[in-house]
Amino acid sequence: MKALIFSIALSTIFFAACNSNGTKQATSETTDMAMNETAATADNPLKGIVTGYLNLKNALAKDDDKGAADAGNGLVKVFDGFDKSSLTADQAKIFADIQTDAREHAEHIGSNAGNIGHQREHFETLSKDVYDLVKVTGAGEKLYYSNCPMYNNNKGASWLSETKDIHNPYLGMSMETCGAVKEELN
Amino acid sequence: MILSVACYDCHSNNTRYPWYANIQPGSWWMASHIKEGKNGLNFDEFASYSNRRQQSKLKSIVNSINNGTMPLSSYTLIHKEAILSKEDKMSIKNWANTIKDSLELRN
Ligand code: HEC
Ligand SMILES: [Cu+2]
Repeated sequence: MKALIFSIALSTIFFAACNSNGTKQATSETTDMAMNETAATADNPLKGIVTGYLNLKNALAKDDDKGAADAGNGLVKVFDGFDKSSLTADQAKIFADIQTDAREHAEHIGSNAGNIGHQREHFETLSKDVYDLVKVTGAGEKLYYSNCPMYNNNKGASWLSETKDIHNPYLGMSMETCGAVKEELN
Repeated sequence: MILSVACYDCHSNNTRYPWYANIQPGSWWMASHIKEGKNGLNFDEFASYSNRRQQSKLKSIVNSINNGTMPLSSYTLIHKEAILSKEDKMSIKNWANTIKDSLELRN
């Protein structure tokens, strides 16, 4: 995180230097910390994973197996290209724990267009992985952890959403609003 | 245990190569399924999986039994002994759920 803020600070200086037509302004000392914090959050390293996961969740909520497969394949790429260097030790630990599992679930979702039931089975475990991850790392945006008690013969299942209102990814359009928010994550 | 009869040919290092494995395209079919099956789940390596991964696999096993997707039907066509009875299915699911519950407690 420190490295990230530092590099943003550097590029801010560089940008300022370019804009000043060669007149070297000493803006480096007064770099606005608050602004850099916001930039760092927007560039949360987990962003790609969270975005890919939410795309997948939204496709499943619309009963869109092909969209879910695309999102699953996209998520595999994100995991493969993930840069761990910006993670703290705690973050790296949970990332290492979920990585193989989450990647494999994403891969199976990617290869199971036409079998949305199986995609949803993998999505359930993937949701737990991503939840455990963002609990430690933060997601860079507000997320809601919701649960639908009816899925899987009333065993129930949970998922992460960017919206408070329910669009159930397990039961899809047939039971769109089944579920309730259990936890808010910041 | 029923798992060794019904699953180990494809999900362990202990493959009993059957007669048809020696004949093309049987051997090709068998080899590709063993490789693919072992990639996803290898009972001989199960103990070395992380707690999270063990739980994940046990859950997939229960799902595959519930859905009837495992053992592959192309396999039970030839290996009648691998066709699971109701009791077999119950015992596999109980076994998987019991271990999974104990792993969850260890988290
Ligand atoms: C003829 C070979 C074969 C046999 C026998 C077999 N499997 Fe599989 N299994 C596969 C292959 C190939 C895959 C990977 C491809 C797939 O997922 O369809 C697989 C995948 C799996 C998966 C992962 C499924 C997923 O998508 O998450 C599980 C769990 C599994 N098998 C359990 C079992 C169990 C339990 C048995 C015995 C009751 C069994 N298999 C018997 C070949 C086999
Ligand atoms: Cu699968």
